Amino acid sequence: MEFDLFLRYGPDLLKGFGITLLCWIIGSAGGAALGFVIACLMRWSAAPVRWVLGAYIELIRGTPFMIQLFLLYYGGPYMGLVLTPVQAGITSFIVYGSPYFAEIFRSGFQAIPPGQIEAARAIGISEFTILRRIMLPQTLVLITAPLTNFVIILSKETAILSVVTVPELLFQTQTMAAETFTYVEPFLALSLFYWLLVVLTAELGRRIEIRATRHLKRAASST
Amino acid sequence: MTQTETSPSDPIMTVRGMSKWFGNFKALDAIDLDVNRSEVLCLIGPSGSGKSTLLRCLNFLEHYDEGEVRKDGALIGWQEGPSGPRKPLKPAALRAQRHHIGMVFQQFNLWPHFSARQNVAEALRQVKGLSADDANARALDALDKVNLKDKAENFPSGLSGGQQQRVAIARAIAMEPDIMLFDEPTSALDPELVGEVLTVMKDMAAEGMTMVVVTHEMGFAAHAADRVAFLESGRLVTCRPPDEIFGAEPSDARLRSFLQTYRERNVV
Ligand SMILES: Nc1ncnc2c1ncn2[C@@H]1O[C@H](COP(=O)(O)OP(=O)(O)O)[C@@H](O)[C@H]1O
Ligand SMILES: [Mg+2]
Repeated sequence: MEFDLFLRYGPDLLKGFGITLLCWIIGSAGGAALGFVIACLMRWSAAPVRWVLGAYIELIRGTPFMIQLFLLYYGGPYMGLVLTPVQAGITSFIVYGSPYFAEIFRSGFQAIPPGQIEAARAIGISEFTILRRIMLPQTLVLITAPLTNFVIILSKETAILSVVTVPELLFQTQTMAAETFTYVEPFLALSLFYWLLVVLTAELGRRIEIRATRHLKRAASST
Repeated sequence: MTQTETSPSDPIMTVRGMSKWFGNFKALDAIDLDVNRSEVLCLIGPSGSGKSTLLRCLNFLEHYDEGEVRKDGALIGWQEGPSGPRKPLKPAALRAQRHHIGMVFQQFNLWPHFSARQNVAEALRQVKGLSADDANARALDALDKVNLKDKAENFPSGLSGGQQQRVAIARAIAMEPDIMLFDEPTSALDPELVGEVLTVMKDMAAEGMTMVVVTHEMGFAAHAADRVAFLESGRLVTCRPPDEIFGAEPSDARLRSFLQTYRERNVV
């Protein structure tokens, strides 16, 4: 192993790791936010809006992420949408993730017994307050595990951003490999970075889940 | 439809020619009914006869298609207006009507992530806009009325069915409604827990609460009700004082056979 190579390429690799993190975090947060809005609209809006969103969900879920990214980055300029690689990467990440996030929120909403919502309506609580106070607190507990799971999947999808020259981790690693004719070390290092991401995310999700379900456990044990 | 001749008439709610369809199925057929102030009105009838649907039309959880439901003169759920297709009330206006109509469900429908106190305080905070302290104080008062002050910090999963239903009653009465609707409040309970809920309901009746109670507890209907309405296939067959329903042999054949099934099980 030639560790001086890592000293030489270390800054570039770290920069790549930073950009991977950036795309991943903003892409996940944005995708989750968009997915949440879609799930709410699918539940509360009029039929035509639901049809449009249904078509959007099918379209995005039915095409590979790389194609969506290509279309946005190389096709965008034809529609007057000129984006930097990082902008295109983050935007397509948000779009790509949103239907999956929407599906996770939808299943969470659906798991709440309708009687609870009916009781809230009968007493005159507004739909927005029902969402905020009755549904969300329970939904978030239910969906922490699938949410964590999907965010982990997204962390690895960031590698695809290298195809539009986003200088993220894989892109930097490939550069290093090409310039130095070493392959094993860079890709070992790369794996280590992704592994770190996954472990940290999983641990974070686990802690959130423990916190969120603490009062439920306490309630159950007091029976 | 038969209207009772004997009740004092100070109606808080009036139902006139109210019909409800589920698709092509007519679940309620031209219901006429008055609910008088401070009376206990029990709804009885076979399963599927439309008792729940009727009750749910009173607070517009179900939209009735024809006729009128009025509370203190105001049309429930629909906008008043010239004839033609009716428009539902704006959400805020419907909510304002519902603030004065309490409802208790067969399945309690408590919010499991809130303690008993929080379940009762929630609407006081979110709907009445009370401060946290005021809402909690009122919640504890309401829990006291259903004899559950000592369980205020328990979550629903840590309460028996009877206790959960009493929390649900406290949640409704804390809003100080003008009328309370009960949909089979004891049907989901183990037999030994039915009594504690019925006791609370009798206390409320004694304090003058107006109550409409869908029930299979014929003992409660016979002893606590001012009037009993019998539904059958979406029609209100009769509505009379309980002794006329349960006492002498009723003249209506359908009511007779319905009560017969209960007598055979020694319930009445
Ligand atoms: N949401 C619904 N959609 C279709 N049919 C319904 C619905 N709710 C009730 N029904 C039908 O209306 C009739 C009356 O139901 P319900 O009011 O629940 O009766 P009860 O409470 O007397 O048992 C039943 O035949 C039932 O199947
Ligand atoms: Mg019913």
